[in-house]
Amino acid sequence: MATHEEITESLMVFTENYNKNERLKIMNKDWNRIVVVQATDVESLHTLTLLDGVVSLKEGKSNDPDLTVISDSETLADIFYGDITPTEPYNNGSLRIIGSEDDIIRLDFISLMIWGE
Amino acid sequence: MQFKKVLTLRTVVATSAGLTLASSSFVAAVSVANFVLGDTAWIAILTGGFLCFLAAFCFSELNGLLPSAAGIRLYFSRAFNDRVSLTVSILYMLVVIVGVVGAESYVLSTVLSGVIPAVPPYAWIVLMLLLVTGMNIRGIKIAGLFQDVITYGLMFSILAFGLIALYKVNFQLSAPLSPGGATGIISAVAVGVFLFVGFEWVTPLAEEVTQIRQISRGMMIALGILSVTYAIFTTAMTAIVPKEVLAASAAPHLVFARAALGGAGVSWMTVVSLAATVTTFNAGLLSVSRFMYATAREHALPQIFSRISMRYLTPWVSILTLFLIGLVVSGVILLTHRYLVLVHLAAAMESIVYVMAGLAVISLRRRMPEQERPYRIPFGNLVPVLTILVFTVLALTVLITSPWVLVNLAVAFLLCLVYVNTAVPYLKKKHQARRPAARRRPQRRTDGAGGN
Repeated sequence: MATHEEITESLMVFTENYNKNERLKIMNKDWNRIVVVQATDVESLHTLTLLDGVVSLKEGKSNDPDLTVISDSETLADIFYGDITPTEPYNNGSLRIIGSEDDIIRLDFISLMIWGE
Repeated sequence: MQFKKVLTLRTVVATSAGLTLASSSFVAAVSVANFVLGDTAWIAILTGGFLCFLAAFCFSELNGLLPSAAGIRLYFSRAFNDRVSLTVSILYMLVVIVGVVGAESYVLSTVLSGVIPAVPPYAWIVLMLLLVTGMNIRGIKIAGLFQDVITYGLMFSILAFGLIALYKVNFQLSAPLSPGGATGIISAVAVGVFLFVGFEWVTPLAEEVTQIRQISRGMMIALGILSVTYAIFTTAMTAIVPKEVLAASAAPHLVFARAALGGAGVSWMTVVSLAATVTTFNAGLLSVSRFMYATAREHALPQIFSRISMRYLTPWVSILTLFLIGLVVSGVILLTHRYLVLVHLAAAMESIVYVMAGLAVISLRRRMPEQERPYRIPFGNLVPVLTILVFTVLALTVLITSPWVLVNLAVAFLLCLVYVNTAVPYLKKKHQARRPAARRRPQRRTDGAGGN
């Protein structure tokens, strides 16, 4: 089981790598979304806000998310550190994403562009 | 927590019905009519629709239990195992794309060549495929209100054509209650399942509705509307045009439209056919290209299929590959004229998937008994067992009566099985070898300060 701090660190690494990628920022400049990340086995809630192509991270939840990413702490930490692709846990049901199918795919595209295959 | 994007029941119904409305459905409807006597196709179609309700119940429970855009890939993986799930999913996607592109392009090119004979049929096919491929690469999706308008417009048009034609014959039908022997009826119902192919593809919207039961309600309403609409339309077709004439044409709906409303009918039906094919093509290409992308992302297809367009954020390699497959398949069908094989192939494959959905419901009730189910089929295992029995009989009927379908499906199944058991482990091993030696995530400290 990963800790809340580990999930926070993984999200910080994800945010930093995203914001360093100019291409991603241009691609997502019109994709303004609020993404809540929620662990199922530890008390851990984070909100990623994409605004004008830039991502920011804060602890706690937003009441009006476009996407909610729900999984166990280990899977969340691995995904946001880029050690596993989101597709595998999504296809086996250990990762649940609530939101539109297009947004779910976009989130996977972002992960692919940050971490590669 | 609240969600910003919420789909209405109207859109869920339109999505479920829209995926099934295709130009090749009219060919399947004539095929159904030819298995029974007189103007009794309505009996087989309503029966087929009723039986699809059984499958819809199973998908409702599965979708409530595991709400995910991954659909059968997830249901079958949890109910059976990953290999079974991957084999069936790849086979299903293969049959869908070959069936949809092959049959649809053939029927539509016949329609358009009938209206503008100077343009060769293959040119129409290339044009249609280019249009839909371009839309997919640009990420243009027919959705929301536009999808609703097209789908409800199509259903209204089909119903209006049927009622106008029946009015022209004063609602006088030939032996409307005597369908003939049991073999003919079973075959008719088996092919009739094709009319409803894809109604369950609405389940990926599970995460976009406020209440999961909206998906099951939408599927049921769509099935009900489609059953009645197709029953009226098909009965009207055979009431005003001899069955032999309809069966001899690859575009029977155009023959019917001319008989019902003359030149105006032909124009109206051409628009209907065009809209039905473009939406079906687009939905098929969108779903299958995303499936290819996701499968490549889990290292079960070569990585090249996960390449995305930097400009449009779409999986362009998968889309272009499907475009090329479409060109080849439609060329082969245009040369061999075996479009009916594809219709029967899709009907058989759909029945097999419904059988597996019934088995998955029973299996998951054993494997995940405590898991919350927003929708649970009443009467224990009766409905899933009936689904398994009914669709096994229907699949076998199609496979026995169409040897070409049996051969094609058996070969495709074997290829998928070999691929999943040899190529997939190789691809996964190759990926493991290429992964960075060290994980990016820092090792947890063992002094207890870093967590559990």
